[in-house]
Amino acid sequence: VTAFVIVGAGLGGATVAGTLREEGFDGEVVLIGAEPMPPYERPPLSKEYLRGESGHHFVRPAEWYEEQGVDARFGVRAEHVNLTDRVVELTGGERVPFDQVVIATGARNRRPKIEGLELEGVYDLRFAPDSDAIREAARNGSKAVLVGMGFIGAEVAASLRHLGLDVTVVEFFGTPLERVLGPELGGAIEALHRDHGVEMIFRDGAERFEGDGRFEAVLTKEGRRIEGDFAIVGVGVEPVTEVAEGGVPVDDGIPVDATLRTAAEGVWAIGDVARHDHPVFGPIRVEHFDNASKMGEHVGRNLLGADAVFDDAHWFWSDQYDANIQMAGYATEWDDMIVRGSIEERSFSAFLLKGGQLLSTFSMNRKFDVRRSMPLIASKAHPDRAVLEDPEFDLRELHPPKEDAS
Amino acid sequence: MAGWVKVGPAGGVGPGEMQSFGIEDRQVAVANVEGDLHAFDDVCTHQQCSLAEGDLDGTVVECPCHGSQFDVTSGEAVQGPATDPVGVFEIREQDGELQVLLTEE
Repeated sequence: VTAFVIVGAGLGGATVAGTLREEGFDGEVVLIGAEPMPPYERPPLSKEYLRGESGHHFVRPAEWYEEQGVDARFGVRAEHVNLTDRVVELTGGERVPFDQVVIATGARNRRPKIEGLELEGVYDLRFAPDSDAIREAARNGSKAVLVGMGFIGAEVAASLRHLGLDVTVVEFFGTPLERVLGPELGGAIEALHRDHGVEMIFRDGAERFEGDGRFEAVLTKEGRRIEGDFAIVGVGVEPVTEVAEGGVPVDDGIPVDATLRTAAEGVWAIGDVARHDHPVFGPIRVEHFDNASKMGEHVGRNLLGADAVFDDAHWFWSDQYDANIQMAGYATEWDDMIVRGSIEERSFSAFLLKGGQLLSTFSMNRKFDVRRSMPLIASKAHPDRAVLEDPEFDLRELHPPKEDAS
Repeated sequence: MAGWVKVGPAGGVGPGEMQSFGIEDRQVAVANVEGDLHAFDDVCTHQQCSLAEGDLDGTVVECPCHGSQFDVTSGEAVQGPATDPVGVFEIREQDGELQVLLTEE
């Protein structure tokens, strides 16, 4: 009997199990996750769940795993993928044999070396209990200090403002999300938050968290002292690769080929931990919801023999206040940015191009353009400036014909 | 209110198009898939965005906010993040009117 073992029970891992069953595979599926809760979605943890407006969104209903005969081991940590004996070694010594294994261990928050990081009242946000703790702190406090303004920092700032707290952010770069979006689009995010009353301090960082047993203030590298009731650190993540080390090759995550295979026979990796050789973008590691879900579906089918290349153009959203923000594709550098709509009025899309090729699309409150641009990104299209600038032009007119059209 | 309710004129939703109609306190989307009309709740079950503002591809509507997809013939969520289906309604064109069958909530 074939045994598929999935290490990591977040969105990606749970989606693999779901896909295997939906595709009709009735053999052994083992799903191992360190968190005690059944797999849940993380996007609400910085938004509606944090604000107390929703409960958890489970990837599958809690009873699904037993109903579907999936051997779910939640609250159990996998220590090592042993390639010699073809077993996954669990904490406590149990060994789970596999024919093929999917590593979906995700990422963890980077813990910068800042004095006082361990003080009570200094939080970070990754897991459900983190969101619970921040919500409790928000209930008892009136002022939050955020260190870092990436997507987590920006979304948490928006949620805390919604709850009525004062928010001050210290950010290393010159705008929010500058490393991802560049200064001009980062400036649009900055304006959004400024209009909602967030105080932002750029080009500065946390030197030390101060407090007598409990957080009282951040001392910054530039000598500022920012007081607050609690602090949240959001300065990026790092892939969780320990299970692979000493066996499956590791290099900024776990490298996989275009079909999501690692260099080790019968070992696959997906989601935040996978450094995927993408057919359009080259080797990239993507830390977003949709990617984990799509890779989970894809590897499920590949486990059953599909042998298909993963070529999704990548897409994610971020909701901040009443703004719907979306982005597709992947660009670390671009030589042209074409805007349709108005950045000032916060209704725009920005197309990032290099050598005329569309690499990425970002939008704020223009809900159509990003997803309609994905087939263009995937097909390495070179769209004309005039059509990209035209707010009325429907990008679907440029889509390549569908391969499966009959 | 239950029973057949007029939402607009017959022929008002062309092939490949969607429109949203407010009926009392609910919002109903009508999609025209190659001449066949389908009506469904115009509220995405993920974050309450209007589906009629999204894109229709065959029988699948895609939410413009977060990309959830629903089959307009059954209401089933075929792509997350939404997992719950949207409600669907019977629809007909009669007496020059576009009508949907509302049931008691």
